[in-house]
Amino acid sequence: MFEKFESFVGVNFFTLIFAWANLLILYLVLRKILFHPIKRMIDSRQKEIDDMYESAEKDRSAAEHMRKDYEQKLEKATEESEEILRSAQRRALLKEEEILKDAEAQARRTKERAEEQIALEKRQAMNDIKDEVSVIAIQIAEAVVARDVKASEHADLIDGFINTMGEEA
Amino acid sequence: MNISITGPGVYFTIPILGGIRISQTAVALLAVTILLIVVAFIVTRRIEKRPGRLQVVIEKLVTMLYDLVESTMGKHNLKFAPYIGALFLSSLFGSLIGLTQIFRSTTGDLSVTLAWALATTGMVWYCNIKNFGFKAWLKSFTEPIAVMTPMNIVSEIANPISMAFRHFGNVAGGSVLMSVIYAALAALSSVIFGWIPGLIGTIPFFQVGIPAVLSIYFDLFSGFVQAFVFCLLTMIYVGAANPPAEELPVRNKKAKKQK
Repeated sequence: MFEKFESFVGVNFFTLIFAWANLLILYLVLRKILFHPIKRMIDSRQKEIDDMYESAEKDRSAAEHMRKDYEQKLEKATEESEEILRSAQRRALLKEEEILKDAEAQARRTKERAEEQIALEKRQAMNDIKDEVSVIAIQIAEAVVARDVKASEHADLIDGFINTMGEEA
Repeated sequence: MNISITGPGVYFTIPILGGIRISQTAVALLAVTILLIVVAFIVTRRIEKRPGRLQVVIEKLVTMLYDLVESTMGKHNLKFAPYIGALFLSSLFGSLIGLTQIFRSTTGDLSVTLAWALATTGMVWYCNIKNFGFKAWLKSFTEPIAVMTPMNIVSEIANPISMAFRHFGNVAGGSVLMSVIYAALAALSSVIFGWIPGLIGTIPFFQVGIPAVLSIYFDLFSGFVQAFVFCLLTMIYVGAANPPAEELPVRNKKAKKQK
């Protein structure tokens, strides 16, 4: 079957060249049809996965942002409504006080006026009474004088009496 | 009994250039190349984003290769991964093809392992000269001191020789051992069963089973380990000659450009 045999430990220059050629061909062909396509596929898949994760992360953070935004707005709205309520209460309180004060002042004025009226009427009444009394006193005195009292004797007494009546009343 | 231990047989000689001898090794090399190309073609016929079972396996293997190259040589040397892969497959299947008994292991021929080792050395020298300059490369032989120059030159030459002989020796030694064991088992069979008259006495019963166990070590395991070692050494040598761009000397124009 064989012409002859190579030596067991020996180098055949042509076999060496042949080995190089085979390795080179195998390298070029496998790189073209096996390593590069598979590597590209793995890389592109990896990239796709990375992109997917990245976009998911982006969406998540956007949603988070939105949530925070809404929460803030909600908080602000609550605060505003409370503020409105508080200011309304304050206004109502002020109004109430004002009304009370007005009412009080009016009442005071009414009372003062009434008192003045009363005092005026009292004075008037007093004067009326004084006049009447002096008339009556004079009539009584005339009646008395007409009988047993002499005007010269009791003039001082009558005047004094009338004067004291005004003071005592 | 006699065992003849020979190199690869020569089928025929092409009578040019002083006679090109076409040996078993050359045929086996061609067979391995064709086999690997055909298999690669079949497994990559349909590559899809959603991989099938076969594609998952192939992708896993390719990823392992790239990871190994990256961890040994660095990310900047990933371009060497296809070469390392081709070298590994050539070596592994070159060893395993001997199991067919039709072809002789290609790695059992010193010519082949020497060719691969010289390819590694050639790449190392090329990378060194390209990255550091011819003068700096020559000067590196005189380091750390000038007296070391002969030693450095010897070690530089010894590298490919040791790589070639390590691989060749393991595979060739394994195959020699296997043929010795086969012969020994045949002899044992004829001693024990030889007295049985007729055809039965000539059947070497002990050759059944026993060599298979040994073959797992000498052919499968050894072939795999040697392929791995050879590729690992290649990666280490070439990786050392091809450091990352930021470690290159400033005088290198390419390194400057990259920065």
